[in-house]
Amino acid sequence: MIYLSLINKNFMNRLLLFFVLLTSVTLHGQNNTIAAGEKLTFTASYNMSGLMTDLVQVTMETKEVKTSKATLLRLRCKAQTYNKWDNFFKINDIYETYVNPKNLTPYLHKREINEGGYYKKMQYNFNRGLNSAKSVKTKKRKDGTFWDEKKDLTIGSKTNDIVTTIYYIRNLDIHKAPVGSSDNFTILFDNEETSMKITLLSKETISTKIGKKECYKLAISLNNDVLSGSTNDNLLWLTADDNKIPVYAKFKVPVGNGELKIQSATGLKH
Amino acid sequence: MRILFTTLSIIFAIVGIILSILPFGYIALIPIVAALVFTLIASKLLVKEGKNTGIIKILFAVIIISTGLSIYNALKPNEIEIDQDAIEKQKQSDEETLEELEDIEIED
Repeated sequence: MIYLSLINKNFMNRLLLFFVLLTSVTLHGQNNTIAAGEKLTFTASYNMSGLMTDLVQVTMETKEVKTSKATLLRLRCKAQTYNKWDNFFKINDIYETYVNPKNLTPYLHKREINEGGYYKKMQYNFNRGLNSAKSVKTKKRKDGTFWDEKKDLTIGSKTNDIVTTIYYIRNLDIHKAPVGSSDNFTILFDNEETSMKITLLSKETISTKIGKKECYKLAISLNNDVLSGSTNDNLLWLTADDNKIPVYAKFKVPVGNGELKIQSATGLKH
Repeated sequence: MRILFTTLSIIFAIVGIILSILPFGYIALIPIVAALVFTLIASKLLVKEGKNTGIIKILFAVIIISTGLSIYNALKPNEIEIDQDAIEKQKQSDEETLEELEDIEIED
């Protein structure tokens, strides 16, 4: 079970961090890709002794949210273990960010992790004008009570949360980037800014559950220990169309490797 | 040799039954096949030496049960459990978030 715990520990973190990628475009440009009502469903598998085992279902959903003053776009990513794993190691993670629907500027980010009894919640309230974020970390004690840790963080003008970065990448003009080009992104994760480099490797046509798709093949590298291996061990395929949906990913983590495959895509803008 | 192969059969049969109880699917078949091979060799050696083959019968039973369980787990469809408590909790969280967002004025 220790091995299982290692595999699954912050599994969603690895998946989501892995998802993040490419190119150079002005930060928070016009959103031409993401619409409310979009739902992408994936299966995450882990390689055990050369055989892939389906562990988790990952969903990425968008929804319009109205307050009395504004209309926002909620970007929500969920990871849940398949029921046959629930009795051994249950994962139920939710990552969500409320953004400006016009340019994907984040205002509020929430991350709630439930992994085999481990609980953690992170919240960032962004203040773009001041380049700062108010952070609240909630953890669970052994007796079931909760405690909060509040911090005021100073962040870079281009720093985003993980969910916004995923969607932001999809909004980039990848078609304008030459093969071999790369760019760096900064992600606020666990109250720390993490750098990530993304490189456009090639254009490839691959078979997926939603059909044969021409894709951008991207390599991802992080400056922390979430992903390991060489550049070509962590790869992401985004469809080379206006939706730029992630359809396939391969990743290497310190305890092995896995893959993410799309199962369905509905409510796409284009 | 007889003791070696019997010991290996027992070890692989135990690993096989554990993996077949866990939802590893076909992966559990790897130690099960190894247990089967070692059990067959141990069986031949025991018969040749005229020893009691009781342990072999138990090992075969364990191998059959493990194979059945692992195939059942492998064929079981991947489904997500609908947790009503989690859904209610999420609804409540969404409402709280909406209240927090009330103060936000978006810049275009």
